[in-house]
Amino acid sequence: MARIIKVSNLNYRYPDGTTGLNDVSFEVEEGETMVILGANGTGKSTLFMNLTGILDGDGHIEVMGLLLNKINLKNIRRGMGMVFQNPDDQLFCPTVMDDVSFGPLNLGLDANQVTEASQKALALVDLQGYESRTSYHLSFGEKKRAAIATVLSMNPRILLLDEPTSGLDPRSISKFINILYTLKSQGKTLLIVTHDLFLTQEIADRVLVFSEEKRPVAIGNYKEILNNYDLLLKNNLVHQHRHRHDAVVHEHEHQHGYIHKH
Amino acid sequence: MKLTNSLLEKLDPRTKIISFLAIMLCMILTPITRMRDFGLYFLLILAIGFFSNITPRQILKKVCILIPFVLFIAMFVPFVKEGNVCWSLEITHWKLDITYEGVWTFLNIIVKSSLSIFLLVIANATTTFSDFLKGLDMLRVPRLLVMLMSFMYRYIFVLIDEARKLMRARSLRYFGSRYKEQFRAMGYMIGVLFIRTFERAERIYSAMIIRGFSGEILSVKRFRFSTMDILFMVGIIVSLVCIVSGLVNKIEHMRVSGAHLWQGL
Repeated sequence: MARIIKVSNLNYRYPDGTTGLNDVSFEVEEGETMVILGANGTGKSTLFMNLTGILDGDGHIEVMGLLLNKINLKNIRRGMGMVFQNPDDQLFCPTVMDDVSFGPLNLGLDANQVTEASQKALALVDLQGYESRTSYHLSFGEKKRAAIATVLSMNPRILLLDEPTSGLDPRSISKFINILYTLKSQGKTLLIVTHDLFLTQEIADRVLVFSEEKRPVAIGNYKEILNNYDLLLKNNLVHQHRHRHDAVVHEHEHQHGYIHKH
Repeated sequence: MKLTNSLLEKLDPRTKIISFLAIMLCMILTPITRMRDFGLYFLLILAIGFFSNITPRQILKKVCILIPFVLFIAMFVPFVKEGNVCWSLEITHWKLDITYEGVWTFLNIIVKSSLSIFLLVIANATTTFSDFLKGLDMLRVPRLLVMLMSFMYRYIFVLIDEARKLMRARSLRYFGSRYKEQFRAMGYMIGVLFIRTFERAERIYSAMIIRGFSGEILSVKRFRFSTMDILFMVGIIVSLVCIVSGLVNKIEHMRVSGAHLWQGL
């Protein structure tokens, strides 16, 4: 498999002086699903902003064999779609169709191709018939799915998803994971930022763990990382959990979002 | 309001924008003393309404929401305008004069705005906002303005929601004392709302440029003038010309004098 993203020694400092990213280096293979795990405020979203060239950090980023700079930016963005955490930021047009066709139209496709691509994207996220709906009136789960359709219509090779499951109910999450499976089977490279270990276990090939020093501390196969409780505990991804069974109080590691059996 | 498939909805938004604007312009430029013309405009608007599938009840409901605002603004005009006094009201040492000029101005405002509101309600009920924006864009209205309107339409409710949440959070922690302090809280809230809006705008812009935005809003929907559009436009223009040039009056005078069709108006 070919390498599709290479980041080396990426540093970013926000204008107010806080560190956003601290010496980040990693590589992503084409077609793999990489989950970037990290607690709140560990620089995961900042990393995405840097990968898409919105923020301009120091370091070396290579996407699809192209060095990320002003000249290549347009070509890189053609092949890389990003879904924002808040769908209200992603859906800015009056109707869903306007939003989904926004990307392909900007790519310069003609009207028929745009319609076809948009329909395909809407079908993939199970939102057929929503074309003329106003995005404000959609439910949160529908908004999230519409947001991903706006990127899928551009048929990108790489998809960056920022907290795709946050704020979704269990049924919406499983629907979302199905969509991710479909994308995975189509050979797309997925980069997912989350602190949802359930999602990680379901979808990840490899996992990159960000520490609170805003740098990656571990990278590896998802089983390897998810079974390393010390690592997860240290990086605020699981917490010591104490609870009572009648008279006995016991303490053990506990993953967020899990209802576990005893 | 749910859109059905009436003639007015099938028309190109440009046709509607142009012809409705034309009607409103003619109406506004007609001196109020030509009351009969306004009757004719009303009939024209009724005829247009006939081509939409909205019931008169629905139209009236919306018109009734808007007219009080106009009434409120126009209410004081008869008392303020100087001129020949037609009726004066004395309450102890207060004196209120109603002038002829004032009454005419009042009528001017009320009649013209009510008719315009009628027309706008019909236009609004038969055109979706996004189609309207596309129509404006194709009519070469500055793109920046069109985009501003589009974003406003999309985010005004999000903003209102956010403001409401802030208010709720405040009122949950406010127990009724030190009301002067509340102004400061209000100031903070406005500040927070501003910063949030600003940051949201930044995120939206990022979302746009990642999807290849380069300053141009494009659209799949292509509008084309059909024969229906042309017929509609011609119909409107002919009737406007007839009304404005007083042709209708003349035709009427050529008929039996003394039994005018529009005598009641």
